[in-house]
Amino acid sequence: MLVLRQLAFDYPEQDYCFDMNLMAGQCLAVQGPSGAGKSTLLNLIAGFLAASSGEIGWLMDGSLIRWNSLLPWQRPVTTVFQEHNLFEHLPLWANIGMGLHPGLKLNSVQRQHIEQVLDDVGLAGMADRLPGALSGGQRQRVALARAWLRQKPLLLLDEPFTGLDVHTREQMWAGVKRQCAAGVAVLLVSHDSEDLDALADKRLRLEKGMLVAS
Amino acid sequence: MNGWKQLVVKGAEDNHYVSNPPFSHPRWVTLPGVVSALLLILIVVSAMLALVWMAPALPWASVWQDAYLQRIVRFSLWQATLSSLLVVLLAIPLARALLRRPAWPGRKLLLRIMELTLVLPPIVVVFGLVAVHGRQGWLPQLLSGLGWQPPNYLYGLGGILLAHIFYNVPLCARLLLQELERIPSQHWRLAAQLGLNSRGVWLMLEWPVVRRALPRLLALVFTLCFTSFAIVMTLGGGPRATTLEVAIYQALRFDMDIGRAALLAILQLLICALLWGVSGRLGGMPSLTPYTLYRHWPRADSLGSSRYVDSGWIGMLWLLLLPPLLAVVLNGLGGIWLMLWRHELWAAWWLSIKLALVAGGLATILATLLLSAAGGYARRGDQRISALTEASGHLTLLIPAMVLGTGWFVLLRPWVSLTEQGYSLVVFANTLMCLPFLMQVLRGPLNSLDEPSRRLADTLDVRGWYRWRWLLWPRLKPAIALALAYGMTYSLGDFSVVALFGSPSQPTLPLLLYQLLGSYRLREAAGCALLMLLTMLMIFLLLEWLGRRGYRSERERSSP
Repeated sequence: MLVLRQLAFDYPEQDYCFDMNLMAGQCLAVQGPSGAGKSTLLNLIAGFLAASSGEIGWLMDGSLIRWNSLLPWQRPVTTVFQEHNLFEHLPLWANIGMGLHPGLKLNSVQRQHIEQVLDDVGLAGMADRLPGALSGGQRQRVALARAWLRQKPLLLLDEPFTGLDVHTREQMWAGVKRQCAAGVAVLLVSHDSEDLDALADKRLRLEKGMLVAS
Repeated sequence: MNGWKQLVVKGAEDNHYVSNPPFSHPRWVTLPGVVSALLLILIVVSAMLALVWMAPALPWASVWQDAYLQRIVRFSLWQATLSSLLVVLLAIPLARALLRRPAWPGRKLLLRIMELTLVLPPIVVVFGLVAVHGRQGWLPQLLSGLGWQPPNYLYGLGGILLAHIFYNVPLCARLLLQELERIPSQHWRLAAQLGLNSRGVWLMLEWPVVRRALPRLLALVFTLCFTSFAIVMTLGGGPRATTLEVAIYQALRFDMDIGRAALLAILQLLICALLWGVSGRLGGMPSLTPYTLYRHWPRADSLGSSRYVDSGWIGMLWLLLLPPLLAVVLNGLGGIWLMLWRHELWAAWWLSIKLALVAGGLATILATLLLSAAGGYARRGDQRISALTEASGHLTLLIPAMVLGTGWFVLLRPWVSLTEQGYSLVVFANTLMCLPFLMQVLRGPLNSLDEPSRRLADTLDVRGWYRWRWLLWPRLKPAIALALAYGMTYSLGDFSVVALFGSPSQPTLPLLLYQLLGSYRLREAAGCALLMLLTMLMIFLLLEWLGRRGYRSERERSSP
């Protein structure tokens, strides 16, 4: 279970203090107006920002494994950003493959997994294409495909369905639900009530730098 | 999903939940560059100190009293100021014309020739200029055929200015063009929507960019003209048109007066350093990049009379560049057959290639290390160390190559023989001399990984060697190839260091060309110049091909 205890971050114009628990297999949605601190929350969890105080970690068998000192690549987290999820000069197979091995040393089984996951997100046969040849929705699907293949226990979704058509969005929802069923904890940040209705087990709101029940 | 639990536990235990990629410690980015920077500073400072040490009583007072020295300083400043002003005044409308005319016939070829002129050996350029503008050259003959006998303008200040314009207008226009191409596309879209005329585009979009680049650009051109050696030496036409750089050469080579050479070198260094110090505060340095992804928007100001104006400017550039190059080729075609079977030509060619490969390779590696370290420190917020690391690579822009070489020679004299190890000094000096240009080429691509890409790479643990291999190398490859091409061709065409440390019995191509010209074997000299030109072209084409090869086999190569 992901645990945030009095996790604080100080911006000049706003101080943040986050308290929350996220169970394995649960999808927790966070809402809030622009500038409320949604990205700050995700960046703190992913390790891009260092908290000024408080604790973040994974509670397992009654003991908290602290992540405070872990760098982004040391945290068992996958993030899907709103945009800039792909390296433009690398083909899709490489963009996904980097989720399996950062040096792209892939074995044949992993290669098959890449082909399979591309098929799952409706991009079969496009492994050699460059991201520039894809639409915005297709790019997000590639990013989600990589996230699924990485199989990290925590998945952070920063408005990942923005701009997707209804059909693609439903496909993606199904994928996220499969991840939750497999035990992945999902933290979803979204403005869209349809996304929240489809996925969220629990909702929180960001108000005045704090998380409150929605 | 059992594996992740172990990963979390392991991550908490030793902070490494997957094995670290090779060379992922941040020090690998900064340490080699900082060590290189320190070595460069040490090398340059020690060379200068050696010269000062060799001249115990530097005759500082003579600077103000010696009329000859005063004249040299005055002429050096005058020709460099005049050259840089003319170059910039010509380059600005040229860059604007090239930007406004993306479909001008031959534009691509012209841009390639502009690239090439930057590294054309001065001695070859002089050869071409003499063939076109000399007393018996094409242009005077054409004009006298039309009934007008033009005065001889090639030797003296006129020739120096012409050669400096030939060299620096393409460089300056190319740099300005790249800066203009960086104007955000939204601005062009807006300009197109508002139907801005030429004056409006200039005032609203182009002038702010040009103004920002101008101080450093002027400083760069001034320094290149101020320290220009081969051109002044060959086209100067005597003591009336002697610059500091040539005076240093004369002091070292003919008078063996190291003290005087040191004095002149320090004077030159002070003037250049002052200029760079001022220009550095006034604007940013434009960078040379191998290619740009500029999208051309329809422009209202590209219609009407501007078409003729732009055509005039672009046509003028063609007329400036093409005839001398054509003259080298046409004159060389006859001469190369005379030289083709001569052992001396191929021995010189092979020696030049070896020296160029080592100097170009070393300079490319050094430039990459310095820029990586500077970038690493800048991202950490250590701006001062970052600036110092990068500045160490530009030191040689301020100090003449032959001053450096002489300093090292003085230092190493007990162990190094000028006849036997002279070419080691040539390689060493050429490596350092082309470093500033290579850094301009590599700076952009090395810093091209933007913040979102870095963040994404961090989440995926693409660090160290993997980041270099998969994220930086594909962007850097064309730039590294171009940098190597510049480095190699710079070294291949070097005359100033070779003139001092090269062995007349074992010449490089430029030295052989100089010897042939000196003994009035003009046809053979033309053949030698053509071979130099072709070799440079081949180096460029080969390296460009290597640099632009795509990712065809990346997928296969990534397999274990």
